[in-house]
Amino acid sequence: MANASTNTRTNASANASAVDTMPAVRKRHKIRVSTGERVFDTLNILFMLVLIAITIYPFWYIIVMSLNEGNDAMAGPIWFWPRKFTLINYEYALNNPYLIQSFLVTVARAVLGALLSISVLLLAAYALSKRYLKFRKTYIFLFMIPLFIGGNVVTNYLVIAKFGLLNNFLVYILPGAFSFFFMIIIRTFIEQLPEGMEESAMIDGAGYLRVFYHIIIPLAKPILAAMAFFVMVSAWLDFSSNLFYITKKSLYVMQYWLYLVTLGQSNTDFMDAMKVGAAIQNAAQGVSAQPTPQVLKMSTLVIVTLPLLFIYPFFQRFFIKGMLVGAIKA
Amino acid sequence: MNVTKFSKQYVLHLFLIPALVLTLLFNYAPMFGNVVAFMDYSMFDGWMGLGSPWVGLDNFKTFLSEQWFYDLALRTLTYSISILIFSFPASLILALLLNELRNQLFKKIAQTVSYIPHFVSWVTVAAMLYMFLSVDMNGLVNNIKVALFGGERLIFMQDTKLFLPLLIVTQVWKEMGWGSILYLAAISVIDPHLYEAAAIDGAGRWRQMIHVTLPGLVPTTVVLMIFTLGSLFGGNFDQMFNMQNIVIQDQTNIISTYIYYQGVKGAQFSISTAVGLFGGVISFILLMIGNYVGKKISNTSIV
Repeated sequence: MANASTNTRTNASANASAVDTMPAVRKRHKIRVSTGERVFDTLNILFMLVLIAITIYPFWYIIVMSLNEGNDAMAGPIWFWPRKFTLINYEYALNNPYLIQSFLVTVARAVLGALLSISVLLLAAYALSKRYLKFRKTYIFLFMIPLFIGGNVVTNYLVIAKFGLLNNFLVYILPGAFSFFFMIIIRTFIEQLPEGMEESAMIDGAGYLRVFYHIIIPLAKPILAAMAFFVMVSAWLDFSSNLFYITKKSLYVMQYWLYLVTLGQSNTDFMDAMKVGAAIQNAAQGVSAQPTPQVLKMSTLVIVTLPLLFIYPFFQRFFIKGMLVGAIKA
Repeated sequence: MNVTKFSKQYVLHLFLIPALVLTLLFNYAPMFGNVVAFMDYSMFDGWMGLGSPWVGLDNFKTFLSEQWFYDLALRTLTYSISILIFSFPASLILALLLNELRNQLFKKIAQTVSYIPHFVSWVTVAAMLYMFLSVDMNGLVNNIKVALFGGERLIFMQDTKLFLPLLIVTQVWKEMGWGSILYLAAISVIDPHLYEAAAIDGAGRWRQMIHVTLPGLVPTTVVLMIFTLGSLFGGNFDQMFNMQNIVIQDQTNIISTYIYYQGVKGAQFSISTAVGLFGGVISFILLMIGNYVGKKISNTSIV
């Protein structure tokens, strides 16, 4: 979708035929291609290659290090390939009970959060897509105000605490379930649907509920998939709701757990999180081939980060479509 | 059937209830929670702690009379504006350059790769940064530095002067590609006839880019700019929090991290809410100024 829509400009596709019909233009164009433009094209491609390298290499480096023996990694720089290959870092990282637990919590909040979110959004979007809805402007105004003024970290915390949502799984899915921006995107989509089906169903005596269930939900599936993907991505990457509202270990999400392992300022957090205190002590003294903290951090990083990076290209078409609908509206 | 009657459309109003309830609970309640800034708040005084004594503007007077607040506010703005100055043009330039690529397959690959870092959390980015900058042999940057220039291995993350450049680098690295999507979308809806007309007038690709593509991007840029202005005074909590460490924390705090440490961690609810509210008001004013300027220069606005 993005590529189909973004290549309007290049000579290769759409414009080629137009240019063909105008020989004079084409000729002039050719002369220009053969001069400074070629230099520009080459530089542009080089620039893109550098950019790709800068984007990919950090991930590659982490993977390489996570596959290298800990003590060996400390012995000298490693660049592109593991020097002493081992899988033991992953064995240790995956043996950690917290990892499995936090993975389950993260998946649960992503899936449930997405389901709740698209239900709430679709219901509201459908109602607001009706131009004749009473108080329509008032509703939209109510939903819009929080975009401009709102609470902050502390007032959010106080409110969540007073609602009894501290150390409660619901704090992951409730506060972010409704988003004005997403709702507008879905509403725009619904407004573009052909009205005939809905009207004839209404004439046959169907109420809003049946129309919603039998017509709107099936037709809105593409946009709902895109929104669900967005919600799940942000749930997967969210770290601060855990930081602010959760202190119970069984409710930690992967990102927070990763934070404790890699960035946590206390060593006990790390040891505790990894449950490998003794083994690491041995490794630090060079007693055995156990992983060192550094390589364990790397393998954890890979485990938490990589899944999404492999999934996202398959969803690229969806989310870019979603972005574009929103962008055109905005 | 007369659908404009309330009794005929009450189902639609019921459909709005979940969204309204969520908005009231999680947007409006915290908004009204700002009254805490005018109280000497204790969680246990009366219903929702709202029985706490009123102290008027005392909390504001407290921090407005102290130097640390001005340092904090100035640092927040400096960080936000510096990041903005680099990250905004980066996305725009990337979009323009991607648009000039002739090979569609290569363009697609470059685009796909450029989105990758957006799907990585700030925890991961900060963790990677700390590892690359570490002093030991895992520290990629020190490895490169020593291999190329020799000399000492440096402790980067304890240097407060390096903190802002690192904020900029990580922000640009993470969001440049994602930010370019909107510009590419805006480029795709520019009328192709404009390019043909420019070509007939003898404009090469460079001049087409300057005189057709760039002007076509002005509305998108202005809208994005207005929204960014509104968030200048808040700052990116996740990025800041994860990149800080104990050694440099006090010298690098911005408003959002400050009120987290003071309010949530330190239970100084009233004073930190007051600081947060002050920041919120400034953000709102910036948003409105941006909106006004946007209207003046290109007839684009968000409200």
